[in-house]
Amino acid sequence: MPAAAVLSVPSASRPRAADLGAQGEPYLWMLGGALALGIAMIAGLLVLVLWNGLVTFVPREIALLTLADGSRIAGETVRAETFRVPAERLEGLAPEAKAKIAAEHGLARRTLYRTGNYDVYNDDFRWIADFEVAGVAYPDGMIFAERLEWGPFVGRLQSVTVDGEVLAASDIRAANVRAAHDLARARWQRIRKIERVEIGAVNHILERERLALRRVALTSGEDSAAWRAAAARFESRQTDAQARHKMLALEATRLKERDARDRIVLVEIGGAAKDMALSQVVRMYRANEFTWADRAAIYLSRWWEFLSDEPREANTEGGVLPAIFGTFAMTILMVIVVAPFGIVTALYLREYARQGRVVALVRISVNNLAGVPSIVYGVFGLGFFAYLLGGNIDQLFYAERLPNPTFGTGGLLWAALTLALLTVPVVIVATEEAIAAVPRSMREGSLACGASKWQTIRRIVLPRAMPGILTGIILAMARGAGEVAPLMLIGVVKLAPELPIDGLFPFVHLERSFMHLGFHVFDVGFQSRNSEAGKPMVFVTTLLLIALIAAMNVTAIALRNRLKRRFAGGHF
Amino acid sequence: MTCASFHKITAGLLAATLTGAASGTVWADVPILDLKLADYKAISGVSGSLKSIGSDSLNNLMTLWAEGFKAAYPNVKIEIEGKGSSTAPPALVAGTAQFGPMSRPMKGKEVDDFEKKFGYKPIPIRSAVDALAVFVHKDNPIKCLTLQQVDAIFSKTRKGGSDKDVTTWGQLGLAGEWANRPISLYGRNSASGTYGYFKEVALFNGDYKDSVKEQPGSSTVVQGVATDKGAIGYSGIGYKTADVRAVPLAAKAVTQCFDATADDAYAGDYPLARFLYIYVNINPNQPLDPLRAEFTRFVYSKQGQQAVLKDGYFPITAAIAEEDLKSMRLK
Repeated sequence: MPAAAVLSVPSASRPRAADLGAQGEPYLWMLGGALALGIAMIAGLLVLVLWNGLVTFVPREIALLTLADGSRIAGETVRAETFRVPAERLEGLAPEAKAKIAAEHGLARRTLYRTGNYDVYNDDFRWIADFEVAGVAYPDGMIFAERLEWGPFVGRLQSVTVDGEVLAASDIRAANVRAAHDLARARWQRIRKIERVEIGAVNHILERERLALRRVALTSGEDSAAWRAAAARFESRQTDAQARHKMLALEATRLKERDARDRIVLVEIGGAAKDMALSQVVRMYRANEFTWADRAAIYLSRWWEFLSDEPREANTEGGVLPAIFGTFAMTILMVIVVAPFGIVTALYLREYARQGRVVALVRISVNNLAGVPSIVYGVFGLGFFAYLLGGNIDQLFYAERLPNPTFGTGGLLWAALTLALLTVPVVIVATEEAIAAVPRSMREGSLACGASKWQTIRRIVLPRAMPGILTGIILAMARGAGEVAPLMLIGVVKLAPELPIDGLFPFVHLERSFMHLGFHVFDVGFQSRNSEAGKPMVFVTTLLLIALIAAMNVTAIALRNRLKRRFAGGHF
Repeated sequence: MTCASFHKITAGLLAATLTGAASGTVWADVPILDLKLADYKAISGVSGSLKSIGSDSLNNLMTLWAEGFKAAYPNVKIEIEGKGSSTAPPALVAGTAQFGPMSRPMKGKEVDDFEKKFGYKPIPIRSAVDALAVFVHKDNPIKCLTLQQVDAIFSKTRKGGSDKDVTTWGQLGLAGEWANRPISLYGRNSASGTYGYFKEVALFNGDYKDSVKEQPGSSTVVQGVATDKGAIGYSGIGYKTADVRAVPLAAKAVTQCFDATADDAYAGDYPLARFLYIYVNINPNQPLDPLRAEFTRFVYSKQGQQAVLKDGYFPITAAIAEEDLKSMRLK
């Protein structure tokens, strides 16, 4: 290798340490190493979340275990580990099992099975050691049924009843059961729609009329002419609404009666039978007779349920639609508030204010604001926005609803404002930098052509600073969407299935409490009854939160690039 | 209310008749419902919004009740916030919540604050029974602990009368690999009612050691214990998973140990059995509004107590339901 030989000659003739230092090699390695470490940690975290999040919804096979004592257990395998077998468990074992454990230095394997059937067993996960197992099989006919209540049921199908008539054993084919199940689910969805949406609208009207009446009572007294007119109007509207309510309720009752006649009986492996309405089963499948297409269909349908449905069973099952929507709505609202506020402040500081001690002080304060712990903002938001501002708004505009607070408690608007306060320093700093980077010559050229100061800012400075300003907003958005601590004080709750935007007047309900993906992660991970079942949901929800923030950022970055291209062509 | 008064009440109201053998199954320790509880029937004209602020032990249970209640009244709005029992009284006083779930009874000061504002006392609903469990890792062979030992493990003041601090499993009689294993402590943060109740009953009002790792939720305690072999921690029995084991407890060294099961909790034998409460602001001079009345009735119905089972706690009896409904003038 002639090239290497040429290179190595001069370095050999000089002292080695000085050589390396002079070339900056060790620093290069250090910097490179630090970068690699950082990237590896971030990538590791992302891969962990991605992997765990993606495998959660994969349907698994059901193992049927026959234990040494003759009892049987059926369940999905969750994970396995090695453990040291305690002396008292060794006593009753067969000699060959003992010998095997002794050969492994007292260690053995055990496996965690998800047995489901919480209503029957009072637990739904069980550890089984390998030496307890006499045989493992994956027989046909094992059914995994996800239910609306009590979690999954693992067992076999005993009978299906459609409209009061039991299907003959020869008729229980997959297609028949599936068709009956689809019908029952569609009926159940219809019942839910009537109860939630249609009766909901009627009740909303009733409530509005009741409040309007109360408002009249509060402003002009209970026996004024205005009140009597309002009361008469209330009576007539109430009668209308009640008639409609009755009609809808009747339809719901009729559907429910029909619903109760479609039933399914499942038997767990110990022989206990469970009779339930077919519509109570969200999804069921024969876990040991899969084709790849079945598997993919179930996987996708679980994802769809997760993205499009409300949570059930204290948030451990069902979907997270309200949380996705809440996170999205709050972030957008925050950007709407923070962007003009931050940009205006930065413009004044950089373009109009006389640079001196006061401005320097303001600038330092803004930078310090970015370092205040977020929970402090939460306390401020609760005290100032919710209790003080909101309390006064309630007194002035929503007196008829008191003592129930409307704006006087945490809600979407207050949460967005609090987060806007939290992120405004980021926007101010980024905007100032961007404005400062616009060349002085351009401003002077504009002024020299006779443009006023405001014209110069609007036509010359702001457009060129826009990509930098957007960068600031993107940073603010990412920070705001991932923030949880202050939100816990000011409007985020465990369960609030009503979306802040719906079809009922005034359509946007900024006073409502809402759900948030970040808080959902906290809640499911740290508060759910069954942490074993909750853990996979934590990963799925985290994955979703990351995806949502990434999507919002990518949109903003695309916007920024468009702006950049537009002005790149406009240079001299 | 202390542990002693729970026993007094349970002696009368929670007869051991509750948990007979569950029909047709072999799972003997599955708690079952009192069949005398009323079936819940929805009435018409109930709508509006409810907010509950309080205990995190009751967080899931409140959510399950809310889900059940919403199934009966789809247009009722219910919001649930659970950061700890201590957040319930201020919320009730401020009027920001209609229900204040608490895993301990209100303290005298909290009742006073409430009374100062409204002129009457808040009414507690005894909504479920919990056996506060002391959890260890599933491989831990410990057979039984007395409250004195628990106190010596968790407390630095040792008011329970133990003369020696306990820091390793060997001191509790474990041999082999466990003899020198240090005990690592998991507990709740001080806003939690579970923290307060455990301090009062298991620590005899002493102070926790500084080495207790305070966790933000009951489930976190269980997860901590599940991953740490030498761990011990306390939380509601409803949070038990396959990775941890609830240690049988004895009130005194001489008596026998009792499991954290429904039977032993009802009989008052298990020393850390307690009621889970919901506090309500009820003006004695006004009729209770239908929304809160119906929610209370729902909690005391068969369906409501079914949710208690679902959450891993133990249901109350028809006798208690009757008594509490009477105190709210709903019967």
